[in-house]
Amino acid sequence: MAGQKALSQRSSQNESALDSPVRVGKEQSRQKLRRALGRSTNYVLMVFFVLLMALPLVWMFISSIKTDQESAAYPPTILPQAVTFQAYVDLFTVSDFGTYLRNSLIVATVSTIAVIVISLCAAYALSRFRFRLLRGLGEISLFAYMIPPILLLVPIARLVVNVGLANNLLALTLLYTAMQLPFGLWILRSYINGIAIDLEQAAMVDGATRFAAFRHVVVPQAIPGIISTAVFTFNASWSEYLFASTLMTSPSKVTLSPGLTLLLDQTGVYSWAMLMAGSVVMVMPVILLFIVIQKWLVSGLGAGAMKG
Amino acid sequence: MSDANQNKPSTQQRRTTSESPPSGGLSDRTLAMLLIFPTAILLLMFSVYPFLQAALDSFYRVPIATRIGTFVGLQNYLEVFQDPGIRDAFFRSIVWTVANIVIQAGLGLAIALVLNQHLRGQGVSRGLVLFPYMVPAVSVAMVFRYTFNDITGIATFLMTKLPWIEDPPLFLADPDIALWTVVVVNCWKYTPFITIVLLARLQTVPLDLYEAARLDGASGWQVFRDITFPWLRPVFLIALLLRTIWTANDFDVIYLLAYGGPLSATTTLPLEIRRLAFGEQDIGLASALAILMALFIAAISFIYLRLYRKSEEQLA
Repeated sequence: MAGQKALSQRSSQNESALDSPVRVGKEQSRQKLRRALGRSTNYVLMVFFVLLMALPLVWMFISSIKTDQESAAYPPTILPQAVTFQAYVDLFTVSDFGTYLRNSLIVATVSTIAVIVISLCAAYALSRFRFRLLRGLGEISLFAYMIPPILLLVPIARLVVNVGLANNLLALTLLYTAMQLPFGLWILRSYINGIAIDLEQAAMVDGATRFAAFRHVVVPQAIPGIISTAVFTFNASWSEYLFASTLMTSPSKVTLSPGLTLLLDQTGVYSWAMLMAGSVVMVMPVILLFIVIQKWLVSGLGAGAMKG
Repeated sequence: MSDANQNKPSTQQRRTTSESPPSGGLSDRTLAMLLIFPTAILLLMFSVYPFLQAALDSFYRVPIATRIGTFVGLQNYLEVFQDPGIRDAFFRSIVWTVANIVIQAGLGLAIALVLNQHLRGQGVSRGLVLFPYMVPAVSVAMVFRYTFNDITGIATFLMTKLPWIEDPPLFLADPDIALWTVVVVNCWKYTPFITIVLLARLQTVPLDLYEAARLDGASGWQVFRDITFPWLRPVFLIALLLRTIWTANDFDVIYLLAYGGPLSATTTLPLEIRRLAFGEQDIGLASALAILMALFIAAISFIYLRLYRKSEEQLA
């Protein structure tokens, strides 16, 4: 179908090309013009899209280095009249932001490590062995990933209270680990499936234990998958709001997402600079992670994720 | 030598179904079970058990205080279909999801195509454009609450400068506008997902197809319609399927931006479910609604998967 259309297009062009040399020259310059026009349109669009995506973040940062008064003043100013980092100082001295930050760092880091270790083991089993129980686990994990979180909220809240883990960061850590396991499992399994089993066998023939073969042959080759799993798990745990706000109610156990909304409720609209500073701090680790994975984001990760 | 001979058959068996001889103490089956044990426990605790519990709850009237339910059969399900508040939330969820998916699909595709033209500054632009996807929902909510603030918000203020606008819109306070404001914000955050996936797929278009089309003198639009788009379609559909599920389930962005208000103008189904469970303390009704929502999303997913299979067949 494509070929036919393209073919008819070609024959019509051939006719015009045969007409006269002058026409050919005109045709060429017109094509050149059109191409240049298309190219500049593309540049304009690219700049537009970049601004569209970047401006809110720029605005977040600019607002965080204004004074409290200026950030809540009318009419609003575009650029800060006096650059100050007072909002960041206030954030850590006046509010409990430091506690929220520490809690989120603990929960996100531990759940990330747990997801990697646990899903690496399970992905290895799913990839290298064939038992009916394993296939069942693979299917359950996909199913688990599709359940609306809101459906699980009440039963999980009840479960956490019943086992005495209310207001215990361990509950959130376990929950986030469980929630991100299916993602890790599918990504890592597709990586391990791609690693030739012969390499492992060769290592084992050379006298390596299965664990040594796993560590020195499988893990190094799965590194891109491990990193993308780590980044996504950390990001998800770092940002989660629904469960964190329901399960962690004691002030010393609040994590960043609910913490920042508490701050909004406490300060009202009088301290936007501080809220923006808090938002900037929350985005920071994500920026770092993003820089780490950016290399593969387009080529590797997207493809890996879609293979799932 | 003997080692190698022993190993070969055992690994071959391992690739199929086996109860193969123990290598290094543990049998394959034991090892496999040990490896999946933590995953199985966590999934049972935090997915399977709560899912079954919610399904059970949906047949009970469960006062949150005593937590001792009385069996009411299908009454909760009947109530779901009769409650006007739930019906409004359902239609709001449809508007919310469809608007989000349409905008994200169009914009995500446009951005991916532009960022694949080998323009100067393409690498940096890709990074910047993909970034909002990683920004936590709370940070997103904060900066847009500020931007769209009724009085001091920069967007509200700039609107007053436009000559043809008399009163600036109350982006988050006007019940007729609030849902659309949240849609715009949500698209800002999640369009990059579509772009990431499509950009990845664009790297793999068979170049000889392009070459042939160029030799045939096909126009840019023809190349897109006959080569690029069919190549993108299966992956596009899967990306849209995931985004549809996540958007329909989304709680954080809507809630943090508008708390479901004003006047429940942004109360989609997930927010309504939470309100029923924790506000009205009607866990049975909340569970029935959640189960029905999950089934509805599953049905939609099924349609996507059929389209996906068809688009894969067309490629082959």
